[in-house]
Amino acid sequence: MPPKTPYLGEFEYAVLLAVIHLGAEAYAVPMRELIESRTGRPVARGALYTALERLEAKTCLRSRMGDPTPERGGRARRYFTVTPLGLRALKSTHAAFTSLTKGLEAVLEQP
Amino acid sequence: MSAPHLPPAFAESLLRRSIANTEWRDAVSGDLREEYADLARRRGVAVARRWYWRQALGLALRFSTGRLIPMVAPRRPMLAPDPDTEWHSRWTWLNDGRHALRALAARPALAGAVILTLALALAANATIFNLADALYLRPFRFAGVDRLVVVASAPENDPLADRSSVAPADYREWVEASATLTDFAAADFWDPNLSEIDEPQQLAGFRVTPGFFRAIRATPALGRTFLDEEAVPGADRRVVLSHGLWRRRFGGDPTLVGRHIRLNGEPHEVVGIMQPGPSIPYGAELWAPLAYTEEQWRERRRGWLLVVARLGGGQSVGTARAEMEAIVARQRQAFPDTHASREVAVSGFIQAMRDEGAGPFLAIWQAAAILLLLIASANIANLLMARGTERQQEFAVRLALGASRWRLALQVMFEGAWLAALSIALALPLAAVGVSGMRRGLPPSVLRWVAGYEFMHVDWVVLGVTALLGAAATLFFSLMPALQASRAAVSDSLRQGGRTSTASRGRRWLGTALAAGQVALTLALVVGSALILGAVDAAVNGVLGFDKREVMTARLTLPERPYVEPEARRQFLARVMDRMRGMPAVESLAAVTFLPYAGASSSRPIHPEGAELTPAEARPADFQRATPAYFETMRIPVLEGRGLTEADREDGRQVAVVSRSFADRYWPGVSAVGRRFRVAPEAPWIEVVGVSGDIMHDWFMNQRRPTFYRPYAQDPALTMAIVVRTTGNPLDVAGELRRAVTAADPDQPILELRSMEQVIADKLGGVTYLARALAAMGSIALLLALMGVYSLIAYLAARRTQEIGVRIALGATRWQVIALNIRQALVITGLGLAVGTVLAVALGRVMTSALFGLVSLEPLPVAAMVVALGLTALAAGYLPARKAADLDPTTALRTP
Repeated sequence: MPPKTPYLGEFEYAVLLAVIHLGAEAYAVPMRELIESRTGRPVARGALYTALERLEAKTCLRSRMGDPTPERGGRARRYFTVTPLGLRALKSTHAAFTSLTKGLEAVLEQP
Repeated sequence: MSAPHLPPAFAESLLRRSIANTEWRDAVSGDLREEYADLARRRGVAVARRWYWRQALGLALRFSTGRLIPMVAPRRPMLAPDPDTEWHSRWTWLNDGRHALRALAARPALAGAVILTLALALAANATIFNLADALYLRPFRFAGVDRLVVVASAPENDPLADRSSVAPADYREWVEASATLTDFAAADFWDPNLSEIDEPQQLAGFRVTPGFFRAIRATPALGRTFLDEEAVPGADRRVVLSHGLWRRRFGGDPTLVGRHIRLNGEPHEVVGIMQPGPSIPYGAELWAPLAYTEEQWRERRRGWLLVVARLGGGQSVGTARAEMEAIVARQRQAFPDTHASREVAVSGFIQAMRDEGAGPFLAIWQAAAILLLLIASANIANLLMARGTERQQEFAVRLALGASRWRLALQVMFEGAWLAALSIALALPLAAVGVSGMRRGLPPSVLRWVAGYEFMHVDWVVLGVTALLGAAATLFFSLMPALQASRAAVSDSLRQGGRTSTASRGRRWLGTALAAGQVALTLALVVGSALILGAVDAAVNGVLGFDKREVMTARLTLPERPYVEPEARRQFLARVMDRMRGMPAVESLAAVTFLPYAGASSSRPIHPEGAELTPAEARPADFQRATPAYFETMRIPVLEGRGLTEADREDGRQVAVVSRSFADRYWPGVSAVGRRFRVAPEAPWIEVVGVSGDIMHDWFMNQRRPTFYRPYAQDPALTMAIVVRTTGNPLDVAGELRRAVTAADPDQPILELRSMEQVIADKLGGVTYLARALAAMGSIALLLALMGVYSLIAYLAARRTQEIGVRIALGATRWQVIALNIRQALVITGLGLAVGTVLAVALGRVMTSALFGLVSLEPLPVAAMVVALGLTALAAGYLPARKAADLDPTTALRTP
């Protein structure tokens, strides 16, 4: 039996989207920048790490360590990819929002 | 820049330590490094370092505490010990630790309250301790400072005596005569004006004998220090710069040695640059040779040199002091005219050069911080004991299943240790905020006189002390709950089946004593902080004797050589004043030698006519030189006679205006106008032409010092302050004042350009800040004590739920039930206030004697505080008592 599709919080939703956007370059630094620039809201580093850890624990994300680089003092980057389960969760959350907004275009798309 | 920017190592290691998972540790610290390097490139290293500290501390907190609290904890604590393991095996220890953490996580509100309380108390202690360590215990930290002494012509037991007091002739004799001290060196204030680079600036400097650098064991990084043949007039236009000054003003230019810089309008050759090190004495940034003529070296009457020396091998401060006292005793015999009352003081360098005035203040604040920690610990002990009582059953079950009593006690101690560890982690960032607040509280103008200022930051010593205090507090507050746990009575607890009952007598008394102790300590703390706040308020808003509003001030010191002629000084001032006078915003302006509240003053011995006084008998009075409009500009009233006028010229009669207290001291009951006095037995007579109101020249001396004002024209000084009364905002004339000074002499810097209100605020800034910190500690303590009383009464009432239910069922009235519970609150409050009043009065006495009469202990305000605290404490006890009386008896009796 496939695992139950987990429910995503608003921030987790944003983090998963950022991971997909960034593709092979998905590690914490550009992720934070992306979310901040697209949403216009400050993102605490601690909150991002917590969310990444939680999403990995829910198996919505998978991570691997990259190669150490000198500019990081020989420390590796942790790259993330979305798992099939994560993608399902993303889709279901997205669908939920879409169905909720259906018929409200007149309100939501006003400037 | 070849090497990449590296983030602060301490912050990084703190962060890395806080992350358990190694992959996360590398990923997070690597991310931060990447962003740090980027930020350092774009915004500068200073910004990036601050940013890094903020991020590292925030993340460390998140990873250490944030990770622990939401950890998936079992709903119920595990009851049985692992049967297979010996309790002292390594794994069991770990298990106990983890188990303790889970027990805490099960009660997050309790854990949060305890951690916050303890963290605040620890942070207050860490902040004050850092201040005391930096400013008082170890303000100088260079190698060999423990063998360095200061020799002064001042009584040993006078901490405020000026250390720069040795007459040149005395110095030379001491060098010859002393066998216990070696490497004697003398220094004299020399604050030259540096010009030709950017704006002219006055630098903190000293003229020193060539052996000075050897005495303090300082070596040059470039060039050399002074040669003996350079310490003669004519050969002395040479300077050695501090490393800091070299970097700051000359960009660390390695070719500077051998070149000339312009000081006081004259070229001086730079012969050396020192290694980075302490700026001694008194924040010195450059040094020149002390070049006196033979005649100057023979001066025996007046002393102004600061003298340092090293203890010879095997000598101590005590032996050196004994020898120096013998030498000065011989001098008293040999020179009865000048040395009749001369004394000598030999003290360690740190004791002599630190800010002695800070000692009593710091001691009071440290004591207050420790009181706060005690109150917090007592509070936590009560909370944990209440919690322990709830857990009697858990403990009983574990005992019945074979856990040892030791192990139960240990688990409670573990819980305490976790609380302490988390509190310490939270306390350190709080302490960093506190320390930086303290740093900002120090006005820049006084930094030179605050030795050890550069050591004000959170360091390993602070970390160690905080950890130590945290551990001590843990021991204190978890010892009783631990004993309680180890004494859990198996059969009783199990038989009672969890029914509530009256707390045991011992437990009740212990709780009462702890709560009463909190009330007592709080009363002492509240009274103490009220005393300081009152003193500060009186200083800031009290009677000054002059009008501080709408006055702009500029302090400056003319260099000696170009202004050796009094006429040159008069002309300089006239040029500045003429230019300013034309401005529409200027109502009146004047000059005076020493601005009130600016930290400096000068005095002269007074010989009134008709009294034959020897030099030793003449009492000093403050000596000011002022231009005629000074009294009008500062709005100091002239009470009798006249003020100073333009007619008081250098060739006219020697005149002075004296202050009310001066007049009352020498001519009590009669008019002082027309009387005469002089400042030395053979000096010319000075006639009193008027009497002015008294002013507060310096709050720290807290007395209206007898003062006499001489016309500036009759005796022009090099040091002066220009005061300008304006119509409107005084800062509006600041720019024009600066331009007027530059126009009069392009080489002349302004030392400080501030409004009079700012001058006073700067002087009191540090004290005001500390008073507020103390008030904050007092409020936290008050809150904790009220919480303590409330929670104890609530706890005791909850224990008696059943009994109360029975009483109500049997017809007890509401008031009888309230009275039953509030009796304990009365005992706590009464006991606490009785002990607290004694403590508060004792503390007040110590403060009045330590703070030179700045504070006074009045009975009425103390009584008011006692009553107010008593009523608040009773109210805190009444609330839970009333709640208990509202109990529905059926519920109470049904409660399992």
